Amino acid sequence: MSIVTSLILRQMRAPFITLIIGYSIAVLGLVLTPGVDDQGNVWYMSIFDAFYFVSYTATTIGFGEIPYPLSNAQRMWALITIYTTVTSWFYALGKTITLVQDPMFREALKKNTFAKDIKKLNDKFILICGYGETGTALAHALTERQIQPVIVELNSEKIKALPLASFPMFVPGIQGDARDPELLRLAGLQHKRCAAVIAVTASDETNLKIALAAKLLNPKLCVASRAEHEEYEENMFSFGTDYVVNPYESFANIFSMALHSPSLYLLYDWLTGVPNTRLSNPIYVKEGHWIICGYGRFGQDLHKHLAKHNIPVTAIDPSLEMREEFTSKYDNKNNDFILGTGFDAHTLTLAGVEKAAGLISGTDNDSNNLSIIMTAREINRDLFIVARQNRQSNERLFKATKANILMQPSEIIARKIRTLLTAPLMIAFLNKARTQDPEWANVAISRMSGVIGDNRPNIWTINVTDTEARALHKVLTLGRSIRLGNLFQDPRLRDRKLQCVALMLKRSNRLLLMPTDDIVIKPGDQLLYCGTPVAERSMKWTINDIHSLNYIMTFEASPDSFIWRKIYMVMKRKERRNRPRNKLYIDSESNDQDA
Amino acid sequence: MNREKVVFSFFMILALTLNFGFFTGDVANPDHHNVYELYAVIVVNLIATILKFGDRSQMGAMLLATSLVAVVQLISASIVWAYAVHVSQVGLSPAVMSTIVSLSGGAMLANIISVILLMIETTMMRH
Repeated sequence: MSIVTSLILRQMRAPFITLIIGYSIAVLGLVLTPGVDDQGNVWYMSIFDAFYFVSYTATTIGFGEIPYPLSNAQRMWALITIYTTVTSWFYALGKTITLVQDPMFREALKKNTFAKDIKKLNDKFILICGYGETGTALAHALTERQIQPVIVELNSEKIKALPLASFPMFVPGIQGDARDPELLRLAGLQHKRCAAVIAVTASDETNLKIALAAKLLNPKLCVASRAEHEEYEENMFSFGTDYVVNPYESFANIFSMALHSPSLYLLYDWLTGVPNTRLSNPIYVKEGHWIICGYGRFGQDLHKHLAKHNIPVTAIDPSLEMREEFTSKYDNKNNDFILGTGFDAHTLTLAGVEKAAGLISGTDNDSNNLSIIMTAREINRDLFIVARQNRQSNERLFKATKANILMQPSEIIARKIRTLLTAPLMIAFLNKARTQDPEWANVAISRMSGVIGDNRPNIWTINVTDTEARALHKVLTLGRSIRLGNLFQDPRLRDRKLQCVALMLKRSNRLLLMPTDDIVIKPGDQLLYCGTPVAERSMKWTINDIHSLNYIMTFEASPDSFIWRKIYMVMKRKERRNRPRNKLYIDSESNDQDA
Repeated sequence: MNREKVVFSFFMILALTLNFGFFTGDVANPDHHNVYELYAVIVVNLIATILKFGDRSQMGAMLLATSLVAVVQLISASIVWAYAVHVSQVGLSPAVMSTIVSLSGGAMLANIISVILLMIETTMMRH
């Protein structure tokens, strides 16, 4: 029995018993009280008559005195009946209404509906803890790919707003503290369709607890978590959390990539951004010295990467501790430290902003960061600016500064986790791409921009297995050879090419970047593509539909039904007898088996 | 002593005893079966059922089930009685009476199971 019905029944015990007792006394009294029938004889009501009378009287329907007008004695008893039974009805109704309005009952009812929704889920789903900026972005990305998210969030307002968000599917959500394992269990942590848990609440400690609970209660689950502090990051890795995303560390890596190879940075930005948004423009980092405003964790991380590229740096920070930290690590003539805030023109000029190549506004205060950018831009128009945005609400302001690289923690985490969930091969691709020389990225960019148009491409993976590429796998196991280039043909019109690019081929443990069209596909291969949504749909259609595959491979359309197959085979046999064997049709044996 | 337990056991045992009282006697003889006794059995059984509402334990579920069986049987018996006397005007013929009594016999069986379950629960409680 669910907790809700149990709660109702328990609360309704007293009113029900009052009703039964009231009715039973009333009926008994009526049966025992003498009346007079139409011939003037003494007449007693039967239990049936009495129950009928009490039933319509107690519910205030009042049919009257049936079957004979009541005697005075009966009327006296009827009065008692009315006052006791009608009151007990009101009592029962009142109790029901109070119960329905009870906050505890409503809470239980909500939890019950939520638990039912979760139990009904038939497809794989992903549990998102924390429906903040990151959580919202992830939920949108998942629903767009038809993956079901389930949401746990502490703030009840955000959960109330959940049905108003325009998701293409129903997204169940519950308000509660995600540190409570019982709540996580209710949200489907141990459900057999639960594929992953994402802990992206604002607090590292909560994320740690969620990851712990997930790994303990369901060790097979994939767990991704956000961690801003190193000690939490290490702690999470220690018990086997699959992915821990540290926004600062990730950003430092991205920044390093931008310094090392702007094209690679562009490639990263195109391939990991939200699909179908405008493509970003290339960035150009000038040679020269850099200014870091705010030498906290963020500033220090970026400084490490600048130092790696031997770029001279001037740091500005009001704290003496930071100065000691700075001088203890970098005391060569390339690096310089100025005590100050950085949002006044004087300090910036002292740091040499007129001739600087780049500026990082990396304090933990958004107003200061904005002020630093404005002041610096006024002095030096061509400054390359890296801006740190701490709060999502300030997004408009930061966009307006036109900073060259904008660092938003929530966006970085969402990007990384979205890529992990929707295209895990992409991580391997980007890691491999980093080891290539900068020229490689230029070639990749120009190949991609020729195909995908103005918007960020969709990313998809094709696993050449029986379940995910039914037709392709079947045909390959029959021994036919299909090349990578064949799959680029449009299944509607095979002379037309699909607008997509093969990014990587994974065969057992070997990774091949930008595979060429003449590579022969083998069963078990994993292919990573980027391209337009139409191209994705068409390609998935081709690899799963034997007729489309036959069509693009220029084999004839094969009949599907039993009778037509027989007729077709007879016709084929006749045709073959009449024509000499052609080298081009070397695969026609397997074609027959297929048909 | 737990007052809730006393009330609970009282109604369950009273349901059984009253049911037995109605059931005993010649099956087809209306004189052996008092209508007020049936009335009392129904009322007491209804109360016993409601007292079992909202107990989430396995034992609670079993007790509720047996009580519901008894109530269904007894109400069917009373409907047969009311129909025979007031609607079809057949009166309490031996056939009708034996139907009513056998229905109440079934209810009694359910009540016996109820009381046995109650006894098991009591012996299992150590304090």
